[in-house]
Amino acid sequence: MRRITLAFVLFLFPVAGLANDANLVIDNILRGHILPRFDALAVETQGLDDAAARDCAPTSPELRAAYGKAFDAWISASHLRFGPTELEDRAFGLAFWPDSRGATPRALAALIANEDLIGRSPNHYHEVSIAARGFYALEFLLYDKVLMTAGDASYHCALVQTIAADIASTSQAIWDDWRMDYAVTLKKTGPGEIYRSDTEVLQQMFKTLTTGLQFTSEARLGRPLGTFDRPRPNRSEARRSERSSRHVALNLMSLKDMAARLSSNDPDLKKELNMRFAAEQDKLEILNDPTFAGVANPQSRLKIEVLQQSIEAIRKTVRERLGPKLGVAAGFNALDGD
Amino acid sequence: MKPYTVTTSIVALSFSLGTAAMADEGATKAAVLDNYANIAAAKYSDSLITAKRLQERVNALIADPSAENLNSAKSAWLAARVPYQQTEVYRFGNAIVDDWEGKVNAWPLDEGLIDYVDPSYGGPSDENELAALNVVANPALSLSGNEIDASVITPALLEGALHEADGVEANVATGYHAIEFLLWGQDLNGHGPGAGNRSWTDYATGDTCTNGNCDRRGAYLAAAVDLLVSDLEWMSSQWAGTGPARANLMSNEDAGLAAILTGMGSLSYGEQAGERMRLGLMLNDPEEEHDCFSDNTHNSHYYDGLGVQNVYHGEYVRVDGTLVSGPSLSDLVAASDASLDAEMTAKLNKTMRALGRIKTAAEAGFAYDQMLERGNAAGEALIMGGVNGLIDQTQSIERVVAALGLNQIAFEGSDSLDDPEAVFQ
Repeated sequence: MRRITLAFVLFLFPVAGLANDANLVIDNILRGHILPRFDALAVETQGLDDAAARDCAPTSPELRAAYGKAFDAWISASHLRFGPTELEDRAFGLAFWPDSRGATPRALAALIANEDLIGRSPNHYHEVSIAARGFYALEFLLYDKVLMTAGDASYHCALVQTIAADIASTSQAIWDDWRMDYAVTLKKTGPGEIYRSDTEVLQQMFKTLTTGLQFTSEARLGRPLGTFDRPRPNRSEARRSERSSRHVALNLMSLKDMAARLSSNDPDLKKELNMRFAAEQDKLEILNDPTFAGVANPQSRLKIEVLQQSIEAIRKTVRERLGPKLGVAAGFNALDGD
Repeated sequence: MKPYTVTTSIVALSFSLGTAAMADEGATKAAVLDNYANIAAAKYSDSLITAKRLQERVNALIADPSAENLNSAKSAWLAARVPYQQTEVYRFGNAIVDDWEGKVNAWPLDEGLIDYVDPSYGGPSDENELAALNVVANPALSLSGNEIDASVITPALLEGALHEADGVEANVATGYHAIEFLLWGQDLNGHGPGAGNRSWTDYATGDTCTNGNCDRRGAYLAAAVDLLVSDLEWMSSQWAGTGPARANLMSNEDAGLAAILTGMGSLSYGEQAGERMRLGLMLNDPEEEHDCFSDNTHNSHYYDGLGVQNVYHGEYVRVDGTLVSGPSLSDLVAASDASLDAEMTAKLNKTMRALGRIKTAAEAGFAYDQMLERGNAAGEALIMGGVNGLIDQTQSIERVVAALGLNQIAFEGSDSLDDPEAVFQ
């Protein structure tokens, strides 16, 4: 049956050109990769909002579990930084990291010390500094030894609930835009549109892959690695909730899926990328170091360095082989500065 | 005498005909690169000229401390920023610039490394144990267990042991922003109006000296300015006739063009729109303004943007008013896709109008740090106008890369430009 259907399709479109191929790839990524991720983000962050409303205690198992599921959903979608995530600083409002100047604990401490009324106003909270919003700020309130108990208990509780509600409404706004508007934008290319051609859409997808790999290599792994003489385990992402390694794993899982969809017209490349991503996932599992504390130990450090180098090697392959295949380049990204 | 003149004029005539014929056929890649390098040479020479003027004024301040001499040094610093900021577009595409740039324009900085700070600044932080080191007050320093003799403050001490000490980038001991801090002091006005308010008496002698160690503060300032001058001398020579930056650029024409575009796009998007403008706005943090001591951020952004624009059009007005111009990237793009050249030109213009609005508002009294305040809708609109323009122009820069057939050369990282052959391996 399957073969007959395929033959029938081939019969109908005997000269299916590159444009159609691009269109199929875009449609496949949209339905199979992008929309499910932002749908899940909206659902899980609503769960976080509800859990915080029921119990705002930082040690509440239910709240922490809901926080973990919502954060998982964000990390799985966090490479998709274009369109709806970039309006009104939404992605920044969900996730401000790395924070090399310690702005998050400082901003939270100031809100708590002043009992700033905006901390009790979920509808206005999007106005505050991104350092005091989103998953990384909430992590400090739930897991940081000082900030989880700081200030007046009722204010602390309200702040946890406000941040959770802000995360949920931001995520809902992203999902609404994708569902009602941007899904069409990706398909409606041409002169005067946001994307002039399918190739520009493919470049956008390709960028999520190259930038995602770069961010994981340089920030998620590179920051704790520091230098051999000066490792920086305290710079690991979300180390207080012991999620550092988990974030690398979730990110690799998403990028592996994106790579497979982008390389669907080249079975050999698709297979190779798939195997190489899987090898990194295995390395991470064997490493079994939730916060990358091992960067300070020469033996385990070496393993983390190898992981980083292998991810860089995947990025090189993607850039040099997948890019030309799609007729696109990685272009500029937010990590280009210094 | 006469025949000689005739010969000369024939040569001159044939040369000018040759040039005209070449222009008719459109700019060659080599000519565009040559002009790009000429503009780099002019911009770094201007940065050097204005840094030497700053050096004279700083020496005058230290020899004869007074309010007038401090103000005169500050004016020289502000003037020096005008050509320098226009060079930033050369950074990301040219490894020789990017590897060096941290010495002269590193930012943001933990200024407590250098001199006294207000108690609200805090002490050493998780990220930086040396955030409050205070070199001016301490002739002997302890850096990560190493004892450092800082009894004499020299350029070598600043660029050696102190700059980026402990591997922390916020330990900025040298360059424009260290000098800016030593001239203006901390801006303690938060989101209110006003810049740093250091008194000239911080450089006074004897009992008039305020905040202690005026002689060491003066020595630090002089050393930092001397270093800036020597660093700029070095960079100017890199772009001179036989300089390595120019040679590197010319060694592969397509890689050279990619370098121009990489510089334009990386500065526009990741650096200026992202790190320098949008991030500060989203954090509502007055410390997040680029020239935070002097309140000169509006000019910093404006001249960065102007640098991107004048590299595309291949023309630059020098600090003595002369115009350096020649075949440009714009000419090349127009020859292959006139509508794309029009799009690029229009977007660069739009960005400059938006950055101009920030500049005019700031000069009329609405300072950049006020624009960053939470809930300040007018300030947010001004800054986001610039950010959106920069993001939008980056998209057209990517289209230019594709139109010139440079996709496989650009975006490989600046290491590929060190060794253009690597691109083809």
